[in-house]
Amino acid sequence: MSTLVATLLWGSLWAQDSARVAEAQAVLAPLVEAYGVSGAEGPVREAVKRLLPAWAQAETDTAGNLWVRVGNGDPVVVFIAHLDEIGFTVTGIRDDGSLELQTRGGFFSSLFEGQPALVHTPKGDVPGVFMPRDSGLVRHTPPPLRVDVGTTSRAATMARGVSPGSTVTMAKQFVRLAGTRATGRSFDDRVGCTAQLLALRHLDRAALKHQVIFVFSTREEIGLEGAHAAAAALGKTAQRVHAIDTFVSADSPLELSNFAVAPIGQGAVARALDNSSITPPAYVDSLVRVARARGVKLQVGTTNGGNDGSMFTSYGVVDVAMGWPLRYSHSPAEVVDLRDVVSLADMIQAVAETW
Amino acid sequence: MTGLRLVLLSLSIIPSFQLSAQTVDDLAIRFAGMTAVTGLEQAMTDTLLTLVPGSIRDRAGNVTVSLGSGTPKRLVACALDEVGYVVGNITPDGYLTLRRVGAPPTPLFDQQLEGERVTVFGARGAVPGIGAVRSTHLTRGRIGPSSPDPVFTVDNAYVDLGAASAADARALGIDLLSPVSLAKRPHRYGDRLLAAPAAARRASCAALAAAVQGKPKVRGTVVAAFTVRSLYATTGVEAVQSLQGPFAEALLLWSGRRTAAGRAPADTLALATRYTDTAVETVSLKDGDALAKRLVRWMEAR
Repeated sequence: MSTLVATLLWGSLWAQDSARVAEAQAVLAPLVEAYGVSGAEGPVREAVKRLLPAWAQAETDTAGNLWVRVGNGDPVVVFIAHLDEIGFTVTGIRDDGSLELQTRGGFFSSLFEGQPALVHTPKGDVPGVFMPRDSGLVRHTPPPLRVDVGTTSRAATMARGVSPGSTVTMAKQFVRLAGTRATGRSFDDRVGCTAQLLALRHLDRAALKHQVIFVFSTREEIGLEGAHAAAAALGKTAQRVHAIDTFVSADSPLELSNFAVAPIGQGAVARALDNSSITPPAYVDSLVRVARARGVKLQVGTTNGGNDGSMFTSYGVVDVAMGWPLRYSHSPAEVVDLRDVVSLADMIQAVAETW
Repeated sequence: MTGLRLVLLSLSIIPSFQLSAQTVDDLAIRFAGMTAVTGLEQAMTDTLLTLVPGSIRDRAGNVTVSLGSGTPKRLVACALDEVGYVVGNITPDGYLTLRRVGAPPTPLFDQQLEGERVTVFGARGAVPGIGAVRSTHLTRGRIGPSSPDPVFTVDNAYVDLGAASAADARALGIDLLSPVSLAKRPHRYGDRLLAAPAAARRASCAALAAAVQGKPKVRGTVVAAFTVRSLYATTGVEAVQSLQGPFAEALLLWSGRRTAAGRAPADTLALATRYTDTAVETVSLKDGDALAKRLVRWMEAR
């Protein structure tokens, strides 16, 4: 009965969603629930392809990046969001059948310790658990994690299709919270991918005055590698690049409020300064003007982290990064406000059509 | 040998009770998906009342069923409850702070809340939330390699429901004392292994429920009890002893306080576990199946 009541309660809350919020969720949820550790983005790339508008012609380059080109002529403008997520790869299989791991991307390994695990293999996902440490070791950060897939020998583990190089994550689910908020893992950067997809769906292609390229990139979390390849392919061709990635927000009781103060639910964010790039102030001003002209909610802020656009700057391309505020980045319980996803999609569309 | 005698012989060698392994597995997984914070087990006992024919809830909250009649009168009990949390406060911006109920079984117990999904059980049903965690990116450059690395405790725990205000949180049916636990997602792996918080307790109760559902031919009287509050203050099994005892013998399906059965000589029979007291506490469902069969033998005094 309580489940029924809860379903009715949440159902009634969702019924209040605007059509735009509902559309954002319909695109974001399947992307969040696809798995794609850096270097193994295939399932996410295929999900993006399925969600593209019918007219879009997508190409995959040798780095695994997915490209969609719209319009013609200069100046070429690039939007880039990354497909990959943090996780692990298997580096070895012990005699007792357990897996040794290497991290892919930066995160607190304690958040995976003692949690269910999924090992992704060509034969399918193999369930296991991230082994908790011996109880005597008390500190926040555990020693290097291993995974137990319930076998007792190396041969038994390999018989399940697990081998060095297999990627490992934990099971994840898109879950609505109160109001227009939601939780899940790998919102970074499936929200960016979602915003690009929504912009493509709503784009007035006839209004484009120049070519716009949408890139869904690989291996961002391990050093912006897909973006490096995309930037090299374009060279000096592009004039501006808009990295579409997380604005890690300090909107949390656990964070210092010295910077990164962009509350969730207050709109997209101009990521004016991070650890990889600085947007020239005049370009930030232009972005704000575009937002005002379209009536899109836009915050301006500075946060930590790098972005794919920074790989283009050495070719003389200006990086004007945008994002959306995210709580609890790189955790299994990231939190986003779906209205911000809509705002970000609207910003991308506005920039493509008017700037 | 005639056909009739063959049939009779066949019937005579069929055990009086046959367990379906699927039944024990299904019950264990179902129970592992439930939450029963110690002292606040009513939702789970409501379910047990529907699953165990003839069962009643006593004034302490235990679910019991009496099988057979006469002497000896014996008790078999499992423990339903788990260490968990209740809402201790709601901040003006809608976060919940917590009070733990029950002693932490390990120093790292509370740390399991950090950055994970939780469920809050409010007056209007189960509400999803998450345990807040610092963003990885925002710690960079702010924590030196020689800085202390303190364990996360319940005093660091903020539950985010997506609410923007205390009024938003209360509108979801959440208030002080609402139970809170890790989101329960029973996870099967390996060869019939089950990982979940309190997996051993839930699998033991599943074995007991399956044994009772099988209608064993009990010798004397057996009281099967699904007990509450084994982890906090007075124990539910002591109340069973007071209300339905005395018992000539008691069998407790969890490790811990042998005094819990009062004056009755108590044996304990606990399932073996791996990763005990963690979110992936693991039991073998084969062991659960074997336990159910053993309980039937115990009830039938075979």
